[in-house]
Amino acid sequence: VRWQLSPPQRALQASAVLSRVSDEQKKEPLASSSEHQFDSHPTDHQPEQEPHGPRPSYTGQGGQESEDYESEEQLQHRILTAALEFVPEHGWTAEAIAEGAKTLGLSVAAAGMFHSDGSELILHFVSQCNTKLSELLEQEQKLVQLGEAEKKPTDQFLRDAVEARLRMLIPYIEKWPQALSILLLPHNIPSGLNLLTSMIDDIWHYAGDQSTDFNWYTRRAVLTGIYNTTELVMMQDSSPDFEDTWRFLENRVADAMSMGSTANQVQSTGEAVVQGLMGAAVTVSNAETSRA
Amino acid sequence: LPAGGVSLRLRSTRVALEGINKPVIDRIIRVDHAGEYGANRIYAGQMAVLGRSGVGAVIQQMWNQEKDHLKKFNELMVAYRVRPTVLLPFWNVAGFVLGAGSALLGKKGAMACTVAVEESISDHYNSQIRTLMEEDPEKYKELLQIIKQFRDDEREHHDIGLEHDAAAAPAYAVLKTAIQLGCKAAIFLSERI
Repeated sequence: VRWQLSPPQRALQASAVLSRVSDEQKKEPLASSSEHQFDSHPTDHQPEQEPHGPRPSYTGQGGQESEDYESEEQLQHRILTAALEFVPEHGWTAEAIAEGAKTLGLSVAAAGMFHSDGSELILHFVSQCNTKLSELLEQEQKLVQLGEAEKKPTDQFLRDAVEARLRMLIPYIEKWPQALSILLLPHNIPSGLNLLTSMIDDIWHYAGDQSTDFNWYTRRAVLTGIYNTTELVMMQDSSPDFEDTWRFLENRVADAMSMGSTANQVQSTGEAVVQGLMGAAVTVSNAETSRA
Repeated sequence: LPAGGVSLRLRSTRVALEGINKPVIDRIIRVDHAGEYGANRIYAGQMAVLGRSGVGAVIQQMWNQEKDHLKKFNELMVAYRVRPTVLLPFWNVAGFVLGAGSALLGKKGAMACTVAVEESISDHYNSQIRTLMEEDPEKYKELLQIIKQFRDDEREHHDIGLEHDAAAAPAYAVLKTAIQLGCKAAIFLSERI
């Protein structure tokens, strides 16, 4: 389940920075601010106010309204995607967004559309990775259904899914700790949490989880813990191809699996003990009655 | 009447999730699942006390139907990828306590509890049917069929309760009101958390 979320308030209405003219049916709203200069749309002088225009939705999908009409949301997604290329160099900053905008032929002031701390860029990236993961898991599931692949045991499935998702961080690993700290800012926590929970839910869904009781929560909580701790380990891992991280992941998943069987063992032991006590009580009472 | 006589033809465990009003369907399935779960526990509590009495067979039969209902909602929950309510462990205990407690008031007490709960559930199903009809009767045809069938079953339980002298239970009016208030609260909470 994916929800529409509103990103941090934009500092200024910057749609006017679009220097590209396409055959748009819609006129771009014009806005100005004392702080920035804009390239204004040559023929447009309608100050259409659009304070609550479409926000980037962190579901990774922009809606297509018609073929040659691009919504503001789609444009923002394109800019952010282009900006990712510059993150290893500039970090999750407005500079990276500005460079991304440049590659699309837009003015660098397009970066003004976004929050200055890079929140939207990071959330966009996370959402993109989650979408990629879902597609990957969907493909795998299709192969299994067609009989072209073996169904993996649960622990292996979880390990592979988490590893696949974390590997998407590798090109950005230098700057990822910065991203994590930005995601912990109060205004990003709802969006970040939503993305995390839906990703974990997706993984369990494809792993074949069909629980409809409290296990639903336990499993997701456990997997979230595994994912988060593995992510942190990865930040500090300097081994070749992060093999230490994958070993850590393997151990955590194995722990989680054994937790389930341990719980069962405790329960059966408890039941056995109770039965033993009952048997002892019956024996004693029989002995008493026979003696009396 | 066979319980859960409507079959949901699902080709896989998933239904097409595109195009449905996810938040609305989520709530409906979550709260209905919680309701059937609670009803199961209520009957379990009643059987624990009155299982070997004269009404044991009647309660057992109603309980069996609730078990079928719960099974159906378990399937729907997986198919629509709905999260169960966090309060399930609580409904587990509360339901059993309500069932056993009402049964300790005697057979009529147990029947009064049944009448109160089944009336609440029928009204609740009716309002869900209205919601789905307002949304899109075609799109939600199968879900509507299931809920209508279940509503009829619950109505039947309600009538059975009345037939077995529920109204003669001690403090019937008070008991009924209190239980129905509890049901309203349970429904409100289970929809949201």
